[in-house]
Amino acid sequence: MTVTRRVAFERVMVRSFRNLASIDFAPAGRLNVIAGDNGQGKTSLIEALYVASTSRTFRSDKLRDVIQEGAEQAVVRATVLGEASGSVPLRHEQRAVVGPRARSFLIDGKKPQRLSDYAVRTPIVVFHPGDLELASGPAARRRTLLDRVLLYLDPAGSEARLRFQQALRERQRLLSERGTRGADLDAYEAVLAQHGARFAQGRQRAVEAVLEALEPAFRRMAAPELPFRGAYVPGGSTDPGAFEEQLRARRERDLRRGAATFGPQRDELQLELGGRPARSHASQGQQRILALALKLAELECVRAASGTQPILLLDDVSSELDPARTGAVYGFLRESESQVFVTTTRPELFVTPGLEPAERVDVTLRAGELISR
Amino acid sequence: MLPEPLRRVVQMFARLPGVGEKTAQRFALQLMSDESLASELSRELAALVQNVRPCERCGNIAEVDATGAAVCGICSDPRRDGRLLCVVARVQDLIAIERCGVMRGRYFVLGKLLSPLDGIGPDELPLPALDAKLRADGVEEVILATPPSVDGEATALLLGRELAHRGIRVSRIASGVPHGGDLEFADQITLGRAIEGRRNVDSVG
Repeated sequence: MTVTRRVAFERVMVRSFRNLASIDFAPAGRLNVIAGDNGQGKTSLIEALYVASTSRTFRSDKLRDVIQEGAEQAVVRATVLGEASGSVPLRHEQRAVVGPRARSFLIDGKKPQRLSDYAVRTPIVVFHPGDLELASGPAARRRTLLDRVLLYLDPAGSEARLRFQQALRERQRLLSERGTRGADLDAYEAVLAQHGARFAQGRQRAVEAVLEALEPAFRRMAAPELPFRGAYVPGGSTDPGAFEEQLRARRERDLRRGAATFGPQRDELQLELGGRPARSHASQGQQRILALALKLAELECVRAASGTQPILLLDDVSSELDPARTGAVYGFLRESESQVFVTTTRPELFVTPGLEPAERVDVTLRAGELISR
Repeated sequence: MLPEPLRRVVQMFARLPGVGEKTAQRFALQLMSDESLASELSRELAALVQNVRPCERCGNIAEVDATGAAVCGICSDPRRDGRLLCVVARVQDLIAIERCGVMRGRYFVLGKLLSPLDGIGPDELPLPALDAKLRADGVEEVILATPPSVDGEATALLLGRELAHRGIRVSRIASGVPHGGDLEFADQITLGRAIEGRRNVDSVG
C-alpha cells in the first residue's frame, strides 16, 4: 500500500497522570525533544501519549497505575492532525479517562464500537528501554510485537485473539474444576480451536510481514556480512480440526501444567545470527541491534498496513546504546517522516541541521512541570 | 444523612441496570413529591410480581391465568408452527427476534449461558425443560440464536451436538452486515465475518 497519510499530535493535555499534575503541550510537526533529569516525568509524558492513542500502557499490567496519587482519575486529551496529500488536513480528538474502576476512551466525544477501533485510529509505535530485550528476552515480548502489527494488518485476526484468550481461560477453568471429560469441555475446545486457528492465521501473516521488513532494517543497523535469518515456530495450528484434536489429546498434560500447551500463545519468532539462535548466542550488542531492527520492522509494518506514517515515541533509548548505534538511530530519525517524540538526559546530542526551526520543539520536564526552551 | 426508609428505596433503585447512585436518589425524591405515582407504582409492582411469571413452557414472560398457570401468548397461539423452535439466551433476545416478524415458530429461553468462570456448566442449563418443550411441540428444527460471544458459541455447540443425536435439524443464526447500511460503513470485524461466512449465490433466499 502506498503511504499518503501522516498523523501528528497537535495539542496534548495531561492531567493527574503519574507524576504529571497538569501539562499542556503543543508539539512540533516533526521532532520533539523532551529533556530532563531522571525521575522528572519524561517517560510519563511518552506513556500519556501512548495511552491517548492506544488505550493501553507499555509500562505496567494495570492501566489504573497511571492515576496520580491522591487524584480521582487520570486524563489525557490529544488533538491529532491527519494530513493526506492533496486534501485538507482533518483533526480528531482522542480522550482517555482512567479511574480506579471505570475508564473511558472517546473519539471526538463518542464511544467507538470496539476498543480496537480506538487503538488503530492514530497509528503509533513506541520504543522504550524494555524493548531492548526483544531479541534476548522471552518469546512473549516478540509475540507482543507481532500482535501490535496484527491489530493493523488483520483486525478480524486480532478480534479472534481476544476470543481465543477468553476461551483459553474458560477451558483451563473447566479442566481444573471438572476434570478432563465433559460435554461443555468438548464445546469450549471446539470454540477455542475455531478462534485459535483464525488467530494463528493472523499470526502467520504478521510474522511474514515482520520478517520481510526485518531483513532490510537489520542490514541498516548492523555489519552487512553478518548472516541473519528469522523463522516462525508456530505453537498451534491454522486448521480448526487439527487444533481441536490436539487440545483433546493434551487435556491431562494441560491440567497438570495449569496451562494449555498447544496454541498461538506458544508461538515463537526465532531469530538466528550466523546460524545460531540470537537469544542464547548473540552478543549483547548484537541483540540490541536486532531489537532496534525489530522495532523498525514494526514501524514499517504499521505504516504499510495502515497506509499512514505512524507517530514514533522513543523513550531514553540512546543511553543504552553504544555511540555508533546511537548515531544510526539519530540518522534514522532525521530521515523519518514520522512525528517523533524522544526523551533524553542529554539534548545537546540531538543536532538536526536539516530541520526548520518550526519543525522542532525542545522542552524540559522538571518535577512534572513542562518548561519550554 | 437520608432518613432510613428513603435510603433503602435509593439503594433498591441503584440495583437496576443503568441506574447510578445519583439517578436512584432523583427517582426516590420524585416519588416522594408525587404521592399518587408512588402508590400506583407500588400497587402495579405488587400486581406484576403476582400476575406475571416466566412461561412454564418456554421461559418467555407470561401472564398468570385464572387457573394459576402461566403460559405465554406465543406458546398458546395455535397458529404458531410448533415444529420450529428458536433457542435464545434471554427474554430480550426473544423480543428482538419477535419484532423482526420472520420467526413463525416458537421460542425457548435458556436464561443463562455456559460460563466456566462463573461456575455454570451443563447441569445448570434448563435442559429438562427444553426436552419437555421439544416433545410437547413435536419440534423438528431448532435455530440456535445465542449471542456470538465465546460463551454463546460454546452453549450453541453443546446444544447442537445434543440435539443432533436425536435427529433434530439444527441451525445457527448467521452473523453479518446490517441491512440498509452501506458496506463501507460496516465495521471491519462484522464485514470480515460476513465475508468469511459467505454463501453461494444459488442458496441466497
